[in-house]
Amino acid sequence: MIIESILLVDDENLFHLVFEDACSLLDISLTLESVSSADEAEKMFKDWMDDPNGKPEVAFVDLNIVGSSFDGIELIRRINFQYGNGVVIGIISSSADQTEISRALHSGAQFWIVKSDDIEPRLEEFKEDYQGYKNRTATFKVYK
Amino acid sequence: MNKIKLPAHICQELERVAKDHKVYLEGNILKVIEPVSYDSFNKYISDAKENDSNNRKKRLEITKQIQKQNRELKHSQDENEKLMSDLKKALNEAEEANKSVASQNEKLMSTQSENEQLMSDLKIALETAENAKKAAENDLDLIQKKRQFELIGNIVSYALYVIVGTGIITTALYIMAIIHGSSETTLIGNTWSNLFGILLTNSFSIIGTIMGVKYASKEEAKSDS
Repeated sequence: MIIESILLVDDENLFHLVFEDACSLLDISLTLESVSSADEAEKMFKDWMDDPNGKPEVAFVDLNIVGSSFDGIELIRRINFQYGNGVVIGIISSSADQTEISRALHSGAQFWIVKSDDIEPRLEEFKEDYQGYKNRTATFKVYK
Repeated sequence: MNKIKLPAHICQELERVAKDHKVYLEGNILKVIEPVSYDSFNKYISDAKENDSNNRKKRLEITKQIQKQNRELKHSQDENEKLMSDLKKALNEAEEANKSVASQNEKLMSTQSENEQLMSDLKIALETAENAKKAAENDLDLIQKKRQFELIGNIVSYALYVIVGTGIITTALYIMAIIHGSSETTLIGNTWSNLFGILLTNSFSIIGTIMGVKYASKEEAKSDS
């Protein structure tokens, strides 16, 4: 199953390219939009509350987004509790800090993908679990 | 998402461009094109996907390499910044130490100057004390001499009074004896003569002693100075 649209929120522009190419090669998604700040992403979700046209199916959010007013976990909390949710959402970060993972779980994140040079196997695994996340049947999972 | 079905003439045009110029469709559009009934365009789509996949793989590898280099650069930059920070800290500490040493040197110089001033004051005080001591000794010597002279003067005066008095009394007795016609004038005359002789001898002896003392005092003063 291919995901129609993905939103990536990450301050590292090079990772946008890596993620886009990896998703394309693995046939994970048809379209991918990348933004560099949590504030920008929050505004987009705010707009999608009125007009859901263009709203992504999945959102991958970095933990620490440099140049943003708040971090990725706070963005997930706002999306889940203020902007109506409706997306599969989780963290993609180079950190695997247990405290932060616990925070993410409590904010409503569905998964945590640990970023590394070899991201493809984790994305492939995520692709296999995606249907469960979409149906809200899969439990929170950390992809290490 | 519904797949798109391309008209036959567009498929042929795409195949022609690919054949003549090796230009293919690329990207996710390839994933939404529906396969057609003729094999040549399906092969075109397959080739285009392969090209796209190869290009993406190359780009992904290059991007990952750049990402890795960036991380290493960032790491080096962080280390450099840390080193610079440490160096700056060490430099500041050295400067502080220098300032402290300079301050201590200044204090030492100041103390040395104070010590020199004190030494100079002490020297002056010592000289003053020595001068005062000499002056006091001189004064004492003068007082002693003065008292000696006074004592000698007194002794001489009284001795002269005694001698002169004795001479006058004896002379008076002798004269009275002569006037009253006493027969014992010879004895009195001898006695007066002896007495006068003794008195003169003694008086000269006293004067000689006084002169000797005076002379000795002068010699001593000369040798002291």
